[in-house]
Amino acid sequence: MRVTRRRGHVRINLEVVEAGLLATLFDDLGGALEVLPEDDPVRQRLFPSAYPEDEDAATEFRDLTEDSLRDARVERLERCRAELPSSEGNVELDDEAAQRWLTVLNDLRLAIGTRLNVSEDDEPGIDPADPDAQSRAIYHWLTALQDSLVHAVAG
Amino acid sequence: MAGTLSPPLETQGETLPEEQSDVLGAADHPWITIVWNDPINLMSYVTHVFMVVFGYSKPKAEKLMLDVHQRGKAVVSSGSRERMELDVNTLHGYGLWATLQHQDG
Repeated sequence: MRVTRRRGHVRINLEVVEAGLLATLFDDLGGALEVLPEDDPVRQRLFPSAYPEDEDAATEFRDLTEDSLRDARVERLERCRAELPSSEGNVELDDEAAQRWLTVLNDLRLAIGTRLNVSEDDEPGIDPADPDAQSRAIYHWLTALQDSLVHAVAG
Repeated sequence: MAGTLSPPLETQGETLPEEQSDVLGAADHPWITIVWNDPINLMSYVTHVFMVVFGYSKPKAEKLMLDVHQRGKAVVSSGSRERMELDVNTLHGYGLWATLQHQDG
């Protein structure tokens, strides 16, 4: 994975396994967004309470916003999915698309990081004996990709 | 550079009818949007979001991001309740953990 910026465009170069991994992650998150129950920590993280101390106001806000926010998340996920190369290759992004990729990568990191119960006290590196080692490796790879993309977008 | 606070209501457009101006005048900036620290969002991304959403300069966005990171939260905007609900909804779309409350609450 390599992120470069040239003439106002951002290019993400993906190896074939990386493109395949992103396709799987996009599909998984798209499916999850449709079915996650209200008390699921990932749903609570992606759609936080706007009024933690006022349950009625929180419910009213949620009723007004959650469906359209979920639709927006699914829509941008599908657009990024459609931009993936089918094998090793580049994703070329104008500014609008780069911003969209940033939010979609962030949604993925929020979902996976919440499942992994990521904390700021986590040791760097991955214990190969950890049953979540593979998910943690994916999470770290997404972190590197998103950080590279932020810096490319911010110039 | 954009200020910390959204412009007060009376600077945002035409003059309000007299009977409303007292009500709205007293309601200047009564609500605030707060962003809370979380272990997943990247510092670089949070700074970027503050610049994109609020038009803040990079130094101001970085200062707010560091407040979130080091103090656990930061007030990122203030204004009418409706305006703050819009800000919170926008920030949720970016994946930030945002809430709103009355500034005295």
